[in-house]
Amino acid sequence: MSVAEAAGLAIPVRRRRLSIHFRPSRLVLNVVLVLVAIFWLVPTISLTVISFRPEGLFGISGWWTVLTAPSQLTIQNYETLLSTGFATGGILDSLVTTAAITVPATILVTVLSSLAAYSLVFGRWRGRTAVFLVIVALLVVPVQVALIPVAQLYDAFGNLTGLKLFGSLPGVIIFHVAFGLPFGVFLMRNFYTGIPKDLLEAGRIDGAGEWTLFRRVVMPLGLPAAASLAIFQFIWVWNDLLVGLVFLGGNPHHTLTIFLFSQTRTLAANYWVISTGAMISIVVPLAIFFSFQRYFVRGVLAGAVK
Amino acid sequence: MAAQARRRSLVLRRIVATPAPDPGAPNLEAAVLPETGRAPGGGWRRHLGSLAFLTPAGIWLLVIVGYPLIGTIRDSFYNNDSTKLVGLGNYKTLFSTADILVTFRNNVIWVIVFPFLVTFVGLLFAVLTERVRWATAFKTIIFMPIAFSATASALVWNSIMSIDPHVGMLNASIETVDDWFNAPGLYPVNTSAGQTVASLAATGLRPGPGATLESTATVAPGQTLKLGMIGISPATLQLVGAEKAVVPPAASGAVSGVVWRDFSSSHPAVRGVVFADEDGIAGLHLSLLSSNGSSVASTVTDADGAFRFSSLSTGSYRVEAVANNFASGFTGIYWLSGTQSLTPTSGLSQTAQALLSVPLVDLSMITAYLWIWAGFAMVIIGAGLAALNREVLEAARIDGATEWQTFRRVTMPMLAPVLIVVLVTMIINVLKIFDIIVNMAPSVSQANTLAVAMYDFGYASSPSANGLASAIAVILFILVVPVIYINLRRIR
Amino acid sequence: MARVVLKDLTKRYAGGNLAVDRLNLEVADGEFVCLVGPSGCGKTTALRMIAGLEDISSGQVSIGDKVVNMLPPRDRDIALVFQSYALYPHMSVYDNMAFGLKLRKTPKADIERSVREAARILDLERFLDRKPGQLSGGQRQRVALGRAIVREPAVFLMDEPLSNLDAKLRVQTRAEIARLHQRLQATMIYVTHDQVEAMTMADRIAVISNGVLQQVGTPKQLYEEPCNRFVAGFIGSPSMNFVELKVQREGVMRLVCEGTQVVLDDAMAAQLRHLGLEAATVGVRPEHLRVGEPEGPGLRVSATVDVVEFLGNDALIHAASEGRDVVAIVGADTRLAVGDTVILSAAPRHVYLFEPQSEMSLGAR
Repeated sequence: MSVAEAAGLAIPVRRRRLSIHFRPSRLVLNVVLVLVAIFWLVPTISLTVISFRPEGLFGISGWWTVLTAPSQLTIQNYETLLSTGFATGGILDSLVTTAAITVPATILVTVLSSLAAYSLVFGRWRGRTAVFLVIVALLVVPVQVALIPVAQLYDAFGNLTGLKLFGSLPGVIIFHVAFGLPFGVFLMRNFYTGIPKDLLEAGRIDGAGEWTLFRRVVMPLGLPAAASLAIFQFIWVWNDLLVGLVFLGGNPHHTLTIFLFSQTRTLAANYWVISTGAMISIVVPLAIFFSFQRYFVRGVLAGAVK
Repeated sequence: MAAQARRRSLVLRRIVATPAPDPGAPNLEAAVLPETGRAPGGGWRRHLGSLAFLTPAGIWLLVIVGYPLIGTIRDSFYNNDSTKLVGLGNYKTLFSTADILVTFRNNVIWVIVFPFLVTFVGLLFAVLTERVRWATAFKTIIFMPIAFSATASALVWNSIMSIDPHVGMLNASIETVDDWFNAPGLYPVNTSAGQTVASLAATGLRPGPGATLESTATVAPGQTLKLGMIGISPATLQLVGAEKAVVPPAASGAVSGVVWRDFSSSHPAVRGVVFADEDGIAGLHLSLLSSNGSSVASTVTDADGAFRFSSLSTGSYRVEAVANNFASGFTGIYWLSGTQSLTPTSGLSQTAQALLSVPLVDLSMITAYLWIWAGFAMVIIGAGLAALNREVLEAARIDGATEWQTFRRVTMPMLAPVLIVVLVTMIINVLKIFDIIVNMAPSVSQANTLAVAMYDFGYASSPSANGLASAIAVILFILVVPVIYINLRRIR
Repeated sequence: MARVVLKDLTKRYAGGNLAVDRLNLEVADGEFVCLVGPSGCGKTTALRMIAGLEDISSGQVSIGDKVVNMLPPRDRDIALVFQSYALYPHMSVYDNMAFGLKLRKTPKADIERSVREAARILDLERFLDRKPGQLSGGQRQRVALGRAIVREPAVFLMDEPLSNLDAKLRVQTRAEIARLHQRLQATMIYVTHDQVEAMTMADRIAVISNGVLQQVGTPKQLYEEPCNRFVAGFIGSPSMNFVELKVQREGVMRLVCEGTQVVLDDAMAAQLRHLGLEAATVGVRPEHLRVGEPEGPGLRVSATVDVVEFLGNDALIHAASEGRDVVAIVGADTRLAVGDTVILSAAPRHVYLFEPQSEMSLGAR
């Protein structure tokens, strides 16, 4: 008998046969789930197929005819859309614009949140809890409350310094960062509380200062949470419409969502642009979703408030 | 390196020599200092060190969120170009304008329907996939739409719900089923567009009971009838394979005739004559009615429009073109209608009607939004389910509960916190719903929500109505305050 | 109340490993039987099979002369006290205890009566309105017991209910459970890895190792007549000392190795000769070792004192003899210091012999 066993500490974890809830016949259950899965995939598939069908067929026959007549598929739509190249307002320019907004916003939110979280968890100043509570309160504040004054702020700033913020990419980035911070700080702070304080005390004894502690101890340990945050934030900003609409107003460069949105406001018959454009717009988030699914799910579970 | 080591050993010696701290003493940190001649309490330097880390985020939030929040509240009490204080004027306007009240109604619909629906669906999926081997694949499929922008998703669902059965999958599926039961005729008449069967009658035909056409004259066996129709498009006739009309010879004991398109391009104004360039109406189902109105025989016209009912007993008969010929089949439901409502509203005042109707498009958009967010609910509830203490459930089984009783009385209450988190998150999400409305609902619709109205006031109208827009923003903020309170309670 | 019969009860997991191997046990009506063994020996698995929480691979479980293999837990008339108590966190103590009765559509008045009676027995009356989260560990444990009592089952099953309590509370609750058993005269099957619990509470003990039943008997039987080395070493605290010795046949037959010798009495010698053994494992309990030379046949060990633990009335001596550890309990007035050489001896009736290969006991007397 080992000491651990004698002390009653070694409790073996056995896989227990569990039947927790209803088990309708296995077959029925699987059939139902398969049907649901198919139903769920249909919109995505329909979008894909429509983007590969010639424009003329749109109102004549449904996309599902591709199942019986696959020869109708063509990449003509993509060629046409991409042939505009990087022309301002075109799809590729919109892709670049969206990336130019999303990447900096994501990096800034991740870095600033980590720093702030470090201060909230490992700092030794009074009022940490109060500040954290304020940040938690900010989690659910809608962007609407800041849209108008920030636009005015940008204008004032522009008049003061000559730097145009309204209608420019930096303006959008700044706004996105602000509204990404509460969630980011919340996520990182919760993760950091799981890091044993002993590690930092050992570091301090060794003579490390706060910045070194952050850079060499806390941040490396916090990478999983930072990854989750980054991915979540990336997809959120990439897919945003409202903030882009407001703060890029008038700018000939669009985000992908603005590009798509403006198509609906023109005459209705250009669904080929919409479907192809939508496909191009979802490629990046989907790729990230599939590559980093675990991190994304963890981000969702940790926050669940955005 | 050596200096560090020397310092460390000095520090350690000091720790060992220090008597054990009592609970009331300041923390050990203060006694553990490298020998630098600094006072033991010199912690403020360190405090500042990590406080500095908070400043970038702190300032950012103050400038872009904190200060503007106050600005918006202030603006809501001013007029639209922020020059004159109007007190509660904006709010009064908002609560008395019919259009805005409709906006409120839409938000109410969203908040009442969507969060509970999505939580229910998420719970259902989470429970169903508990013991399925391919649960991960299933969850990925359901969860995936969250990576799409609401814009793209709205556009996808726009096409799915299109009214045209050739475009919209939903209407196409319904059409397929509907056609089985009510197959459209060869010559459908679009009644929802105002066409009538009666308008098809030209020569020798008149409208009959029940959307049919019947011959004006009665005939006896051995006679022929010429029945002319208009309003049939040549393209349809071509598709059906019609040929030029031919009047068949009479036959004894039979009623014969021809049904043809009584419109000649060479003699456009003349009716009643079968010209050489006029097509017969092929494939038309005819019924022979006896004098008391019951059908005694049926036939179908040939490619040239000719027909014959043979072996008849004496009597007077009418020929009828049955209603099936003109059945229009399924023409498509306008799922994205902003005006067609689910709730009965006839007989109510204008405003009551507006406030109580639930536009079809709202439900269509809710479906689309559900497609996006059900996976989110499912993932969170699934995690909650997995974290349940298995032994409590076993205890319930031993206590005598069936699986359903266990689920209802033990699992669900234990899951309640998770379900509430999902519910609350979705309520917040839905309060400010914007993307899907502007991309899916027709622009002149009754489906706008508060966020859309705010955008319209603030940015889509010129001059921009800052006061009103700010008032809406403040209302949105007030609506989320209870959630702030709940969240804070949860953290403490 | 009912008796429980396990016949060739077996649990086989995928991959072939046997968690429980042909367990045969009869628990009489009203008896308190403990299943003991080290962690992972299969005792909990056996208990869960009796409860119906695990499938039975082969063999039979009968409760009250009815074979219950195919019955779900709710139909077996059992109650189970979990190691983690498994109380319903969202229900009050009253509701936790009433739950099973409510499910069986017991009239409200009867439920009230049963719950209050159980609460009185367990001193829980003050807590009936509280939720488990507001109770201490010991109180929660009693609620778990109460939930079982209220059902008036044929058999009480308990899965290490005391292991989450601190030492003092454990001793207290042990007595309470024993009292409960006396009062209810209920059939109880109790699983634990702590042999002290088993020895103090059980009418009979079943020692299990690696899924195989080693020995069943009363505490006294297991203590005085262990059937093999495992049982001998498992029962008793501190555990029995073991040493391997070789048979020496010149002169008086004895068992020897460096520092230790056992002079055999006639019975033991006859046994060894009969079995033709060249070596044997010798076991002796710490409490049976005396300081001083043996009077006649018996065990003699020469050892150097390593650690002396003062226990109040006794002293626990850890000594080393030729690299082997020896533990002895002697009177506190025996003045021994670290480094002393000491002679320890034991009478033949306290010396156990075990076959080296099979480890079966050769009987001590």
